[in-house]
Amino acid sequence: MELKEQIEAAARQLGQFLRQDDYVRTYLDALKETQTDPEASALEKQMHDVYEALIARQQAEEGLDGENILPFCKIRREAQNHPLISRRNDMLRLLRPYLSQIADEISLVLGADYTKLALPQ
Amino acid sequence: MNLPLGPESSPAALKTDPVQAARHLADLLRQTPEYEAFLKALLAVDNDPTVQQLSAEIRAHKMALQWGRDPDGQHTIELTRLELELGDLPAVNEYHRAEKNVSNLFRAVDETVSVEAGVEFAVNAEHSACACGG
Repeated sequence: MELKEQIEAAARQLGQFLRQDDYVRTYLDALKETQTDPEASALEKQMHDVYEALIARQQAEEGLDGENILPFCKIRREAQNHPLISRRNDMLRLLRPYLSQIADEISLVLGADYTKLALPQ
Repeated sequence: MNLPLGPESSPAALKTDPVQAARHLADLLRQTPEYEAFLKALLAVDNDPTVQQLSAEIRAHKMALQWGRDPDGQHTIELTRLELELGDLPAVNEYHRAEKNVSNLFRAVDETVSVEAGVEFAVNAEHSACACGG
């Protein structure tokens, strides 16, 4: 098997093993619950829309002050307090150290920071 | 795919062990021409006396700026000049080119891992990742 194919297979296998992990499964369950709950998903969509509108205004070089940002802060707080969204965020917070540990294993073998190289510059 | 077994590996462990799978993936990545070129370029930069000299001067100017010691803007001007000079060095150009190539490879690999795992891997594995969730 060519090296590139071996890498593709090894990457798939790592991803599949991660998906089987309890931390990841719990997070994915919480994510699914959030996505399928009409109230939670509407809240997140609304937050995303308000955020996008702010970015568009900023890119149009409109001066944004605290008053303009207030509606976004309000809806973000509302979203963060939603039980399903809050639970999903908590699960992701718990998951991150585990993912860091796995990435560190890659970095250790490589002798370079995997995440730094795998993220957009 | 059958994974090659190292001294720390056992068939049972490999069935579900992400640590072993991560090590195996890293071992393969290490063998790619892109990663070999990256390491070579990194070594060349580390051993280039001009790079070291300019880097030391850049650090000194940055430190002066951090301490607010730039009343006439000379540190800022000199810092910009030195950074441009550093960026023009062949060894640094080669390093950036090699880094970009290896980064493209790693991003593609990371996307595969993330799709299979159902969660973005590198973004969430980064040590400085935002702890605010979402």
